Amino acid sequence: MKDTQAQPIVEIEDLRVTFPQAEGSVRAVRGVSLALHPGESLGVVGESGSGKSVSWMAVMRLLRAPPAEVEAGRLRLAGIEVMQARREELTELRGRAAAMIFQDPMTAFDPVFTIGHQIIETIRAHRATSKRAARAEALDLLERVEIRNAEAILDSYPHQLSGGMLQRAMIAMALSCRPQVLIADEPTTALDVTVQAQILQLIKDLQDEMGMGLVMITHDLGVVAETVDRVVVMYGGKVMEEAPVVELFEDPRHPYTRALMVSIPGQEGGRRRLTEIPGASPDPSDPPEGCPFHPRCTQADAQCAAEEPPMAVLGPGRRAACWRLT
Amino acid sequence: MTGYILRRLLSVMVTFFVVSVIIFLMMHSIPGGPFDGGDMPVPEAVRQKLNAQYGLDQPLYVQYGRYMWGVLQFDFGVPFQSPGETVLELLGRAWVPSLVLGGLGVLIGVPLGILLGMAAALKRNSWIDYLASTVATLGLTIPVFVTSMLLILVFSVWLGWLPSSGWGEPERWILPIAAYATIPMATYARYMRSAMLDTLNKPFVTVLRAKGLSERQIVFQHVMRNSSIPLVTVFLPMFIGTATGSIFVEAMFRVPGLGSYFVSSIRTRDYPLEMALMLMLTVMFCLAYLISDILYAWLNPRIRHGGKQE
Ligand SMILES: Nc1ncnc2c1ncn2[C@@H]1O[C@H](COP(=O)(O)OP(=O)(O)OP(=O)(O)O)[C@@H](O)[C@H]1O
Ligand SMILES: [Mg+2]
Repeated sequence: MKDTQAQPIVEIEDLRVTFPQAEGSVRAVRGVSLALHPGESLGVVGESGSGKSVSWMAVMRLLRAPPAEVEAGRLRLAGIEVMQARREELTELRGRAAAMIFQDPMTAFDPVFTIGHQIIETIRAHRATSKRAARAEALDLLERVEIRNAEAILDSYPHQLSGGMLQRAMIAMALSCRPQVLIADEPTTALDVTVQAQILQLIKDLQDEMGMGLVMITHDLGVVAETVDRVVVMYGGKVMEEAPVVELFEDPRHPYTRALMVSIPGQEGGRRRLTEIPGASPDPSDPPEGCPFHPRCTQADAQCAAEEPPMAVLGPGRRAACWRLT
Repeated sequence: MTGYILRRLLSVMVTFFVVSVIIFLMMHSIPGGPFDGGDMPVPEAVRQKLNAQYGLDQPLYVQYGRYMWGVLQFDFGVPFQSPGETVLELLGRAWVPSLVLGGLGVLIGVPLGILLGMAAALKRNSWIDYLASTVATLGLTIPVFVTSMLLILVFSVWLGWLPSSGWGEPERWILPIAAYATIPMATYARYMRSAMLDTLNKPFVTVLRAKGLSERQIVFQHVMRNSSIPLVTVFLPMFIGTATGSIFVEAMFRVPGLGSYFVSSIRTRDYPLEMALMLMLTVMFCLAYLISDILYAWLNPRIRHGGKQE
């Protein structure tokens, strides 16, 4: 489905997000650049606090300003510069150019309206259809996300459903306007282990079926291996490495990526989750000089501590920012 | 839901009887009686005759029994201070000013407070936010009789725009309505602001934005509805505040309403009127409780469908 000739759906160039605070600003995103082409699937991986969510919230213009201060050389969604977009343009883009699903399905729905109401209002926000037609569509969507008693679920309130069911409903709602890209921010973290795999498979299937782009934000390399074509590894608000998924696993070039892989316990069974890399992630209000990873990097030398490594292009679709590339 | 309401109504009746006993006992334990005469001394023989005529020489439990027997037949007796009519007739007449002034005060104060609280929450740290906070704090801390006094001072004494007291022509209503409106307005401005800020910070609001709903739709359909749930819980304190405030408002503006009869019935030991007013207040508070609980359940699907109380 990858189509690199066409215009990218998402273009991010030198994105910076800061949260000013009394005790020094939190620099959550510090110069991220990347692009997503139609139909492509991208994994965004990194430890907690590396700026994954904030970057994509910025793309959707969902960060409240204040407190957030967003700057970007270019920030485009479906070819439209979102930093300059008017309110109406933004509401049109959201849900249609890009839809987003979030980590905690239990808090994602308005508790006082039914699931059906919330899907129908999404459809009707973007298209002039009758309530009846929108309801039929919503029913169809729920069936597509493999909800069996869809009719009953449509008339249920959020508190009556399980987390897995709600996540399916949230996916249905996100897909209701046929978005060009689906941004999934840790869509399985809050769910039971048994349900996690089903939801991931569902997202993957729907992406293939609908030919949309996919951004899978996660701190679980295992999730990435199963669902995406290309991976961006983030650390301390920056991109450390980017590579097609197979190449990344076969030949990780950045020491941070390697450390992440080592920290995956047992590739086959159980939970493949990022665990301890020795040392603590950088303080976002006082990031280290030079390479953000150098204090924890086993290969770091004086240069790493002093100068920021440039982003080096290592091949088609491959890049990394490191002084000690192997 | 129907069973729930029936159960609640039953508990209202139980409350009614318990409260009636307590009030009856308390009322009679206050020293003095209705025919002690205040400024004019009443001869002892006359007093005893009057007491006997109204059954006040009987033991308390007999008096209570007789009274409640009457109440069950909607006979609340005759007010001592106005023997030419029944208590019910007097109440029927005194209701009107209280209901009109208090009702209009609430009807004006609540929406104003809600609007003010909304504007404050949506435009945080703007002048309107500060205005709302000031109104809320002043309205809730300054006693109603001080507010009433200030209103009279400014609009009647200094500016001379409006009459300061009485009941009749609508221009006499304006100041008492304004005094009545302060409590509901302050209460609702304060709670609406915090309820809306609370809702606006909920994760589902971000999801609504991410879906591409307009800000107007998000605020008026989702945030308002969610914020009105906690507002319902404020209804009761607001109602009680207004009802008790009426005692001061009606005294200050010399309105012949329930509030002023409340004061005079206690002062003159007008037992039948005092009892009737107290019982009426009890029923009103119980109903206010019931209404706010029903509203709460109706607005909140978690209770409406789960059938469980939080
Ligand atoms: N509203 C905010 N105010 C202040 N700081 C914030 C705010 N939102 C995020 N941050 C900070 O920005 C940094 C990046 O946060 P972000 O949510 O993007 O991390 P993440 O990579 O998504 O991590 P996680 O895996 O925990 O979701 C963190 O240090 C976080 O504390
Ligand atoms: Mg996150």
